[in-house]
Amino acid sequence: MSTSEAHATPREYPWRMPANWWTRSRHYFWYIVREFTAVPLALWLVWLLVEIKRAGDGPARYSPHGSAPFVIFSVVVLLFSLYHSFTFLSLAGSILHFKLLDRPVSASVIVMSQFAAWAVASGVIGFFLVWLGR
Amino acid sequence: MPEKRISIHATRYDPEHDKEPHLQTYDIPFSDESMVVLDALNYIKSHVDGSLSYRWSCRMGICGSCGMMVNGTPKLTCNAFLRDYWPRAVVVQPLNNFPIIRDLVIDMDDFMHKLKSIKPWIIRKQEIPLGAGEHRQTSDQIDEFRQFSECINCMLCYAACPVYGLNNEFLGPAATALARRYNLDSRDEGLKQRLPVLAESEGVWECSFVGECSVVCPKGVDPAKAIQQTKLDTTMRFVLPYGNRE
Amino acid sequence: MDFESYDVLVVGGGLAGLRAAIAAVEANPRVKVGLVSKVYPMRSHTVSAEGGAAAVMRPEDSYQTHAFDTIKGSDYLADQDVVEAFVREAPLEIIQMEHWGCPWSRDPDGKISVRPFGGMTTWRTCFAADKSGFHMLHTVFQTSLKYPQITRHDEAFVTKLLIEDSRCVGVVALDIRTGRFDAITAKTTILATGGLGRVYAFSTNGNICTGDGMALAYRAGVGLKDMEMVQFHPTGLPFTGILITEAVRGEGGYLLNNGGERFLKRYVPNKMELGPRDIISRAMITEFEEGRGFEGPHGKYMHLDVRHLGEAVIDRKLPFMRELGREFVGIDIVKDPIPVRPVQHYMMGGVDADISGVTPILGLYAAGECANVGLNGGNRLGSNSLSECLVFGAAAGRAAAHFASSAKPVTANPVDAMLWDEAHRVETEYLEKKGGNERIAVIREEMQKEMDDGAGVFRTREGLSKLVRNLGGLRERFEKVKIEDSSRTFNTEILAALELDFMLEVSSAIAFSALAREESRGAHARRDFPERDDAKFLKHTLAFHTKTLAPRLEYRDVTITNFKPQARTY
Repeated sequence: MSTSEAHATPREYPWRMPANWWTRSRHYFWYIVREFTAVPLALWLVWLLVEIKRAGDGPARYSPHGSAPFVIFSVVVLLFSLYHSFTFLSLAGSILHFKLLDRPVSASVIVMSQFAAWAVASGVIGFFLVWLGR
Repeated sequence: MPEKRISIHATRYDPEHDKEPHLQTYDIPFSDESMVVLDALNYIKSHVDGSLSYRWSCRMGICGSCGMMVNGTPKLTCNAFLRDYWPRAVVVQPLNNFPIIRDLVIDMDDFMHKLKSIKPWIIRKQEIPLGAGEHRQTSDQIDEFRQFSECINCMLCYAACPVYGLNNEFLGPAATALARRYNLDSRDEGLKQRLPVLAESEGVWECSFVGECSVVCPKGVDPAKAIQQTKLDTTMRFVLPYGNRE
Repeated sequence: MDFESYDVLVVGGGLAGLRAAIAAVEANPRVKVGLVSKVYPMRSHTVSAEGGAAAVMRPEDSYQTHAFDTIKGSDYLADQDVVEAFVREAPLEIIQMEHWGCPWSRDPDGKISVRPFGGMTTWRTCFAADKSGFHMLHTVFQTSLKYPQITRHDEAFVTKLLIEDSRCVGVVALDIRTGRFDAITAKTTILATGGLGRVYAFSTNGNICTGDGMALAYRAGVGLKDMEMVQFHPTGLPFTGILITEAVRGEGGYLLNNGGERFLKRYVPNKMELGPRDIISRAMITEFEEGRGFEGPHGKYMHLDVRHLGEAVIDRKLPFMRELGREFVGIDIVKDPIPVRPVQHYMMGGVDADISGVTPILGLYAAGECANVGLNGGNRLGSNSLSECLVFGAAAGRAAAHFASSAKPVTANPVDAMLWDEAHRVETEYLEKKGGNERIAVIREEMQKEMDDGAGVFRTREGLSKLVRNLGGLRERFEKVKIEDSSRTFNTEILAALELDFMLEVSSAIAFSALAREESRGAHARRDFPERDDAKFLKHTLAFHTKTLAPRLEYRDVTITNFKPQARTY
């Protein structure tokens, strides 16, 4: 193959991801929120460990219910955690695919089963926590 | 009755003259309700500014050439109706996440390379001769992979994927969906050969399930599903290596 | 100077081109195959084919019947030896595609399904839902990726064939991305550049279908055969021209005029909606002229009705049609009839080639829609074209590989001179052109309108003579065309100009060939000569390029083997 002139390959304009990319669409924003929920959850776990350590100093000296900031923060984190769980479980229908009696199980059935399992697990764990707490 | 008009802002970039891409505005007649963005670009090129460069061919959403960003969303311009934007202006830019060669034309070498890397052909231990006729395959078996075979290689999914935008080593949605298409085809025995590319860190594991790829796919391929299913598949193969489907 | 040369160079990355490339490598794994395409191969227009690929697949079918259907369908202009070889190869190609992963639709027992199609007396059209071309193209493109012997030059536009000592030694190609001219040399060159629908205003064809390969061969001295035979498909969507597949009629759809009548009973009573395309298109135009068409903002149309098929059948067999109806016309074909009108679709005419793709120039081959090997004659039956691309693409690939194994290598010096000349020509005539007073699009749109008017479904001497005169005027105006884009980087305006140059060439071949054929045969319908005239015109038209607009016309007898020409009724 011979060429008519030496043409340098023209300069392409490279792609640069803008720093504010995640503000450019609703989907991206809520995706980042979803991923971000890991941060407050981690902080909450650390705080919980602190509270546990404090409680280990004896029931007389521990008053978790008085710790209003902890309760408020816990509620906020609960909301984040619920959002994360909700989005995660909703996606289960697209990841898991089963066949029952040769017909594929529909995505909505799978998702509902995940939420049902979540509700049951939450119920069981909640029951034990209350029962043990007595 | 004055004719309707619409403003098109299109990216211009000529490496011989421009340091950077910039938008150029064109004001054109909006003469028919069924006009699409591609019609607008063709009008500009034909009658206003012949130097506007872009790719297109079939104009019916099957060749995959005409993908561009339309008001910030990756779309096939042959299927983006002006009536959905009018009277607002329409901003047409080259697909995100790719280098720009010229105007609305992006460099798709990386995609072509990735397409080839997943070995998108039937792999069998033993080919059957032509005289033996076709492999028997049922409609249900085709349904297993049908959705993933509908990809027209338009790359809207790559333009929508922020992971690819941040890291172009990522294998990406369409390539993974195509790999899954072959892995699920009852005639194929090549799963093991495709695994290294799929299971590596820049393969499916780079995906954090943003899900935008499936939202923008014009053919309903659902590459996000293909990627998550592949994650599950490769994990199961790792965890339970024996007795697994070949 | 570094010099790379191929054994086989394929121009065009559609079904025929890719099939030829693979066939060459399979015939001889040591060949070096180059594939040049002005678009990435998955964009080739094969991708929009919908209906299917015909072959003798069932025991109740026979080569004899497929051959006869094809020959009768061609209005006896097909070369019968070619047809007989074709029908024997087609089933093997269908199986080969299946082995390569093509998702053919299946019967309950797992065998490849067949469906009825126009002009076919039995069910023999294999299909992949209603996106057969899409699936076939992607299958063959993806399969081609596994052969390291095939090197692709994507987005390279061939401007000229390199002919040295009456032998084709390769091409000059413009690298679209950089504006660089390359001479790509090869011992054999296979043209597989597809059709030329864009010379018409109303066509199913995509932007890239501009008759490039036909014009290249024409200018190199190869005859263009039967250029007057242009196929109009009965069912295109008005305005866009988007194709509504014949499979819709194959599945049982009805064509209705504005009186709700299945009017085809007055034209093809035995086949009805499954008659051949030329007769149905003429029937529709006749109905329009007699006032029985629907009036629309984009011309008259008929109704194609599939409501009686039911949603389940439509979603299983015609899902893409439902999508097209919804997106481009805003209708749901389950509940609404589809507006359709005849639209240019396929070119029976093309580069004069034989059963192995061999053209009169040594080392030059042609296959697929750009070639005329003698299969389709005056009218092509639906679903023969996808099979044609496979059979003759493979044949040309093998023939070229075989020839290349003993051919002399290509020498550098004459090629360098030719390359420089061609680069210089394009640069001065297009890239560096100053001034000019006509836009490319204006000339192109006038050409398209003139072709629609003068060389449409029905033709007359007056219409064709006017067309010829106007094409002459357009050619003169093209000399003064204005090019606004002076960049060398991805300059698509130059491509548009080069394509218009090619389109003007093939348009004049069509117009003059049609003017000279004073009979009606197949798709060529003359109001002034409404009968078929076997005594004078049971011949192929061959148009040879001259220095003027008008080609030199010669005629060659049709090869008749087993099927004597008869009256063609359905």
